[in-house]
Amino acid sequence: MMFAVFVVLSCALILGYMGRRALSLASMFICFVLAVWLFLWEIYSPEYGFRMPWIQVEHIPTPHNTDNGKV
Amino acid sequence: MTTVTDSPGMVRTMAWMNYAFLLAMMAVIAGILTAAMTMQYGYGELPCPLCLLQRVALFGVCLGIIQSFRHGFSYQNTGVSLVFTIFLLIVSVRQTLLDIYPRPGHEYIGTEVFGIHMPVWSIVIAVCILTAYALKLTALGSNDHLSDVQPAQYPVLSKIAGLVGLYVVVIAVINTVSVFVQCGLNQCHTFNYQLLQ
Repeated sequence: MMFAVFVVLSCALILGYMGRRALSLASMFICFVLAVWLFLWEIYSPEYGFRMPWIQVEHIPTPHNTDNGKV
Repeated sequence: MTTVTDSPGMVRTMAWMNYAFLLAMMAVIAGILTAAMTMQYGYGELPCPLCLLQRVALFGVCLGIIQSFRHGFSYQNTGVSLVFTIFLLIVSVRQTLLDIYPRPGHEYIGTEVFGIHMPVWSIVIAVCILTAYALKLTALGSNDHLSDVQPAQYPVLSKIAGLVGLYVVVIAVINTVSVFVQCGLNQCHTFNYQLLQ
């Protein structure tokens, strides 16, 4: 899949360099869609989904105010 | 009311600054990509899948600039560059967050450069590109007078941009071959080049 992304990217750059603007932009759009799809596929975990629980911090309960704002 | 854009000399100067800015940005990005390739081929540090997507994003930024030198400046080309810059930022932030808490299978890989790992550098690069575009827009202003001046009016600048653009195309093709050797048609890994086993 990564190879496909780079092939389309190279096509877009070569076409752009040769002055074929419409074809180049169309190729780059396809490359962008493939790259986004591959990115989402790479970061998806069957265990966590798209979440990142390892950076979650522990929730500290807020103490109740008891005396004029003093805890 | 008279503005600075009413003066032909000022318009030419601002257009030159605009194209010089784009050329400088493309040259810097080409240098960054070359450094990444040097780390890969010189020091044997294989790029991870998200690192490769960050390279794709940098090549995308260059495409917008190549189009500007080929067909004249337009905000559509700027938009292409900005879309890929945002993509670069999203991928690099996600990779940094993936590796920020080391655990089995997830930690920063590769050599540190000035004490900072590559995905973190990618965030810095993306923010620098966005900042540079913001400053350029602030300094040079609206589209009309900039797009009226074609890059061919600056032969030296155009020639250098053509050479840098060609270099970007060549390293994109080299990266494509390299990705094929590293990943084949399968998922990419950083263990070894799959086709050289």
